[in-house]
Amino acid sequence: MKVDLLKNGMKLLVEEDHSIPNVALYIFYRVGSRNERPGTTGISHFFEHMMFNGAKKYGPGAFDRTMENAGGANNAYTSNDVTVYHHRFPPSALETVFDLEADRIENLAFDLDKIESERGVVSSERRMSVDSSNAGILDEQLWAAAYIAHPYQWPVIGWMVDIENWTVDDLKRHFQMGYSPSNATMVVVGDIVADDVVRLATQYIEPIAAHAPPPKVTTREPEQIGERRITVRKFAQLPILMIGYHVPETSHPDYYALRVLQTILFAGQSSRMYHRLVDRDQLALSVRGSMQVALDPTLFIISAQPKTGVEPAAVENAIYAEFEKVKDGGVSEIEVGKAKNILLAQFYRQMKTDNGRANAIGTYQVFFGDYQKLYEAACEYERVSAGDVRRIARVYFEEKNRTVATLIPEAKVPPAAPDATPA
Amino acid sequence: MTSREKLHLPEYRKITLPNGMTLLLMEQHKLPLVSFEAILRCGSTADAPGAEGTASVTASLLRHGTKTHTADRYSDVLDFIGGIFHAGASADYTSISAEFMKKDLATGLDLLAEPLLEPVFPEEEITKVLRQRMDGIRAAKDKAQHVIAAYFNAYLFQGHPYGRAVGGDEESLTHIQRDSIAGFYRDQYDPANVILAAVGDFESSEMERLLGEKFGAWPAHKTAPAVNVDLAPSQKRRLLLVDKPDSTQTYFRIGNVGIARTDPDYVPLMLVNTLFGGRFTSLINSALRIESGLTYGAASTFDVRRSAGPFYIASYTPNATTSRALDVAVEVLKQFHRNGISEQQLASAKSYLKGQFPLRMETSDQLASLIAHLESYRLERSEIDELYGRIDATSVDDAIRAIERHYPEDDLVFVLIGKAGEIGEVASRYAARMNVCSISDPGFAPRTVVDAAPATGPKLR
Repeated sequence: MKVDLLKNGMKLLVEEDHSIPNVALYIFYRVGSRNERPGTTGISHFFEHMMFNGAKKYGPGAFDRTMENAGGANNAYTSNDVTVYHHRFPPSALETVFDLEADRIENLAFDLDKIESERGVVSSERRMSVDSSNAGILDEQLWAAAYIAHPYQWPVIGWMVDIENWTVDDLKRHFQMGYSPSNATMVVVGDIVADDVVRLATQYIEPIAAHAPPPKVTTREPEQIGERRITVRKFAQLPILMIGYHVPETSHPDYYALRVLQTILFAGQSSRMYHRLVDRDQLALSVRGSMQVALDPTLFIISAQPKTGVEPAAVENAIYAEFEKVKDGGVSEIEVGKAKNILLAQFYRQMKTDNGRANAIGTYQVFFGDYQKLYEAACEYERVSAGDVRRIARVYFEEKNRTVATLIPEAKVPPAAPDATPA
Repeated sequence: MTSREKLHLPEYRKITLPNGMTLLLMEQHKLPLVSFEAILRCGSTADAPGAEGTASVTASLLRHGTKTHTADRYSDVLDFIGGIFHAGASADYTSISAEFMKKDLATGLDLLAEPLLEPVFPEEEITKVLRQRMDGIRAAKDKAQHVIAAYFNAYLFQGHPYGRAVGGDEESLTHIQRDSIAGFYRDQYDPANVILAAVGDFESSEMERLLGEKFGAWPAHKTAPAVNVDLAPSQKRRLLLVDKPDSTQTYFRIGNVGIARTDPDYVPLMLVNTLFGGRFTSLINSALRIESGLTYGAASTFDVRRSAGPFYIASYTPNATTSRALDVAVEVLKQFHRNGISEQQLASAKSYLKGQFPLRMETSDQLASLIAHLESYRLERSEIDELYGRIDATSVDDAIRAIERHYPEDDLVFVLIGKAGEIGEVASRYAARMNVCSISDPGFAPRTVVDAAPATGPKLR
C-alpha cells in the first residue's frame, strides 16, 4: 500500500493489483445526511447527483460521456456519514479520470435547468426506494422514531417536501461545507503503477485549495428511556416487523463483539434466529439483522417478514426469546468459532474485487480512523470471547433501548390515496 | 498477465469423466478460496405444465437433507466453515454455486457433492419450502420491481416454455409433491448433463483426483435435455396492465423476442445495445433520465439464453408522467431505427465494452460461472480470447444490420405495473389489444383475455 498526504490535506491510498486490466478509484467525502438540517434533508444525496451535472471544463453530461468514451463507468453512494464516488476504468483512462475529478472538485457548476431535472430524478428514486417498497417506508419510520435529537432521524434521500424545495444556494452552501480536499480520502486499487497515481494526484488534485471542513456534529442522541412503538398501515400482502436497538458508533470497542453476535444470530440457515423463526417454528419468511458502519451511535436493526396468518407479535416474541437465551445462557465456543470463520470468509470475499478492496480500505480509513484496521479485523474478531458476546447482549438488547415498527397490511387503498411521504 | 490490448482467459483444463460429466479446472491463487459452479441442462422449461416451479423447488431442496446430513446438520456444517452453497433454476438450467475457504476444502467437497448425489427430499422439508415459496411470491408482489420480469416473460412468451414462471406461482406450487420432485431429480439430474467448474486456490491435478473420486461413480442415464424452439417475435402490439392500487409510479417493460446466446450477431448486438440502453449515457437513459428527469433509471437488455430470450426496455416513472415516459421510450426506439449509429458512437461503445468486460472475469466465482456457461453453450475459450478482436472488427454496417434484425420497431409488447385507476386510460392508447389483471390475482398472467378497443378504456375489476 502506498500512502500519501497531499498538501491540501487529501489522503491518498494506492494498491497495485494486476489481475485484470482495470482500476477502481474511490473518493470518500466525510459528509452525509448527519451534516444536514431540517428543511434541507437529503441535500447530501442530491448533491451527489449534481456532481455529475457539469463543471467548468466538462459541461453538463460531459463527465459521464467522457468517462464512458474512455471505457470507464462510475457511480456513487451517500450514507448518513459519507458521500462516496467510485469509478472503474481501464488503465488507459487514469489521467482522464483525474482530469474529470479535479474539474468538478474545483469548479462545479450549478446549472438551474439541471437542478430542476435532477429533482425529478431524485423524486423518482425516492418513489422507488421508499414509496414502492414497504420495507423502505417502515425503515424510514423506524429511524424517525428511534432518534429524537440526532440527525440520523431523517432519511438519507430526504423528505419529499425538502427534495421539492431546496435551492441553488442550499447546494452551494453544501459544496462549501463538505467538499474540501482535506475532507476527502482517495483510494485507488488495480492495474496501475502506484507512483503514477501519486504523480497525477499531485498534478491534478494538490493545487485545489483546502477550506474549512464541515462543522463538528455535536448532537448526541440522548439515552432512550423506554420502548417506542409505531405502526404503518398500507396496502400490502404481508406484514413486516422491524426492531431497532441503539448501539455505539463503529469505532467503539464493542463493535467486533456486536458483529460476532450478529453473525451467531443471523448469518446462515444454522443461525439462531433463522433456525428458530424460519425453520423450526415457521413464523417468518425471512429474518435479518443489520448494523451499518457509522460515525455516531447507530441502530442494530432486526427485520422479519411474518408468514401468512402469523401475527407480527408472535414473531416479535420469538425474537426476544432468542435474545433472552443469549443473555441467560450465553453462546457456545463452537458458535463463536463458527462466527469467526464466517467473518473471515466475508473478509476474503470483499477482497475479491478491486472495488471491494478500495471500498473496504476507504471505509476503514474513515470509520475506524485507519485503513490498517482492515487487515487487523480478523485478529480483532479472534479476541472476542463467548463472555463478551453475552455481555453486549445484556448491555444493548434491552426493552427500553428499542423501537418497534410494524407494517400492518390493509386490503384496500383509501379512495384519496395519500402520497406515502410523511409530512 | 496484464495486457491492455488483448483479453486473455486464464488457462483451464477440461476433463470428461467416464459417466459423461464435464469438469473444468482453473487455478487462481490470489485468495485462499475455491469456487464451484455446476450447471445442469434442466431448468424451468423441463417443468411439467401445471407444475411450474418444480425445477426451482427441487434445486432449493437439494441441501434440505442428504443421506449423510439432515437439513439442520447440513446448515451447521456449511456455516461452520463460512461456506456458501446456493442452488437455483433459470429457464434453461439448474445451477449450483458453492465457495469454501481453502483450509476447509475437504469438508466443502462433501457439501458440494452430497446434495447433487444423494438428496433425500424429506416430506416435512418439502412442505416447509413450498410454504415459504408461496409466501415469497406474496412478498415479491408487494414490490413491482421484483415481479415485473415474471409478468413480462409470461405475457411475451405465452404458450412457449419461456413463458412459465421459473419459481412457479400460487397455484402451480400446490400441484408439486414429493413424487414430482423426486421424479424430476431422477430424470433430469444426470452426470452426462452436468458441467462442473472449479476455480481457485488448488492444484489442478489434485482437484481432478478429488472430483473424480466424488463424482466418478454417479451413474449416467443419458437423459436428453429439453429442447426449445425459438419463438417468432410477437406480431402487433399487446399490452398487459397489472393493477397495483398503492403504486405512486408505473413500472414498465417494452419489448419483444430477442436472440439466443449463440446468435452470430451477439457481439454487434452487445455494442449496439451499449449505445441504446446498456450504459448511463445510453440513448434510452439520456432521454428518460438525463434530459427529462422522468425516472431514476432506464435501460434495455437482451436476455440471452439457449433459445431466443426476451429483449426489453425497462424503466419506471411517476403515475402522472406514465404517458410521457412511454412516448419517449417508443420514440427513442423509432429514432434508433431511423438514424442508426455513427462511427463515433460505435467507437465509444467499443471502448466502453472493452473497458468494462474484464469486470465479468475478476473473481474466482465469476470465472467459474463464465467457463461453465461457455461450455454449456458449446462455445470455445476463443469467445473471450478473441472478443476484443471481434469488437474491433465490427463495422457500422454490421451494427446497423443488427439493429434492423433484432430491435422491434412497432410490434411491441408492453407490460405495466401501476395504479390502474390513474393510468388505465393512458395505457389503453398503446395497443389495440389490452389485458388487465390485479397484482392480487394468483399467477403472473391475465386470467381472461379481453380485447379492449382503445377508445373504451380498460375494464377493471
